[in-house]
Amino acid sequence: MSISLKRIQAIFIKDYKEFTRNYAISIMVLFPIVFALLYRGNESAEMGTYGFLYNFTFAMLTSFIQACLIAEEKERNTLRSMMMTPASTWDVLIGKSALVFVISSAVLAVVTYLLGSEPANIGAFLIANILSIILYSALGTICGLFSKTLLEASLSVFPVLILFTGAPFGLLLVDDVPLLKVLDYMPSSQFIELLDVMQTTSAIGEVAKPLLIMLAWTIVLTVVSVVMYQKRLKDE
Amino acid sequence: MDVIKVTHVQKRFGSKDALADVSFSIPKGEIFGFLGPSGSGKTTLIKILTAQLNTTNGQATVLNQPAGMMHHSAQKMRFGILTDNSGLYERLTIEENLELYRQLYDLPKASIDRVLQFVNLSGERKKRFSVLSKGMRQRAILACAIIHEPELLFLDEPTSALDPVNAAHIYKGLRYLNEKGTTIFLTTHNMAEAELLCHRVAILYQGSIKAIGSPKELKRQYRDNQVRIELTNGEIHELPQGEETADRIADWMKRGFIDRIETKEPSLGDIFIKMTGSELL
Ligand SMILES: Nc1ncnc2c1ncn2[C@@H]1O[C@H](COP(=O)(O)OP(=O)(O)OP(=O)(O)O)[C@@H](O)[C@H]1O
Ligand SMILES: [Mg+2]
Repeated sequence: MSISLKRIQAIFIKDYKEFTRNYAISIMVLFPIVFALLYRGNESAEMGTYGFLYNFTFAMLTSFIQACLIAEEKERNTLRSMMMTPASTWDVLIGKSALVFVISSAVLAVVTYLLGSEPANIGAFLIANILSIILYSALGTICGLFSKTLLEASLSVFPVLILFTGAPFGLLLVDDVPLLKVLDYMPSSQFIELLDVMQTTSAIGEVAKPLLIMLAWTIVLTVVSVVMYQKRLKDE
Repeated sequence: MDVIKVTHVQKRFGSKDALADVSFSIPKGEIFGFLGPSGSGKTTLIKILTAQLNTTNGQATVLNQPAGMMHHSAQKMRFGILTDNSGLYERLTIEENLELYRQLYDLPKASIDRVLQFVNLSGERKKRFSVLSKGMRQRAILACAIIHEPELLFLDEPTSALDPVNAAHIYKGLRYLNEKGTTIFLTTHNMAEAELLCHRVAILYQGSIKAIGSPKELKRQYRDNQVRIELTNGEIHELPQGEETADRIADWMKRGFIDRIETKEPSLGDIFIKMTGSELL
């Protein structure tokens, strides 16, 4: 499978131009920032609250925008046209995820700055964010490829929001419903756990477990999104 | 050399054959038209030839490779396609859309000016795709499909729902492209279009080819040998050629009754109706 930086860049630039002219979607970048402003200076806010804000951003920004961008391309048939050009699966998927990656990184940087949180292990914190952006944008790609229309895609973010962003809250009920223990393996729960752990330690051994679980999610979701895209190449 | 070679291709969806048993080949440089009523399998065939569908049975070779290889970047450099589910980016201008395609095909900057002239959209290049008229949209989509001057071009009903002026623009462009060496595979409902543009046509009905040849050949082949005679008193007779008709004509002629005699040649549309029992647009 061929990867061409030139094609990836061309797709990125195209998406950037479209995004800046698509106010319905570009306005989404404001939500996490507004929340961060509200939480800011709230003395009682704990790491868990911060973690929630990050997880919310991954779902509402990363997954949502990615799902909408992909679904719109499907609805307008531009994806099929692009599939007919020499752009390979990786060119298209990387090119189309690059914009969301950049936007998410920028918004998360602003959010982190506003919250004024200082994670003990910056390296682990960065890796956790990068893995999350990749896995949530793969999730968005999957939602976008499943949806037939833009509307369907924008609704598909709610199951993601409930399942992923909501998982850490589900964990609170684990004493009543032991089955909910599985929610501990959601990347969102692991993200919060990581923030928690890092309050007291920056030891590699402690931060490795959440990062590895998130890495596993990243790999699985990326593979699923690539396989789904390649199925879409066919029109059976 | 054949650019497309299809042998005994069958395509089954569920329990229904979209294509039953189709064989034909298209030599380099030809404009080949596929005619057929709605649901006869034209789009299905284009999808097979561009690796968007697999065949159930049979073989298809395109540009010297199995059709299933058409999704490889190297093969995709060599063909262009315009179908009713081709689309461009609404929020980008024509020029910005073309810029994307130029880069995806890795072409020089000049290719944008050239293709814009080609489809007669140079004056509209700064307009957003969303504000274009239907005819302009279709021409802009065509421009993206041919910006790389492909060896082979697939067109699925390129002029359906276009006015004659816009259609003529597209015909002109296609002829020019063809003169420069592009082989064109075209489907259409429009008989006049096929007659005007195609070197050869095939009539597809219920998943198989019922007739194939140049429009001229087909007309000769399906001529029903009737003569049409208009008499001075206004009567019109359509009679089969033969001794009896010859006698009658001789008789009328001796008496100076004949106003006009002509052999009747079927139009492509007539042949189509005969083959398929259905009426086209
Ligand atoms: N993906 C699919 N799944 C099931 N059946 C299909 C599929 N695609 C096409 N068909 C069926 O195959 C037959 C041929 O369809 P096709 O689109 O090739 O016709 P067509 O000649 O292009 O018609 P039109 O002139 O209306 O575009 C139709 O009966 C159609 O319903
Ligand atoms: Mg069709």
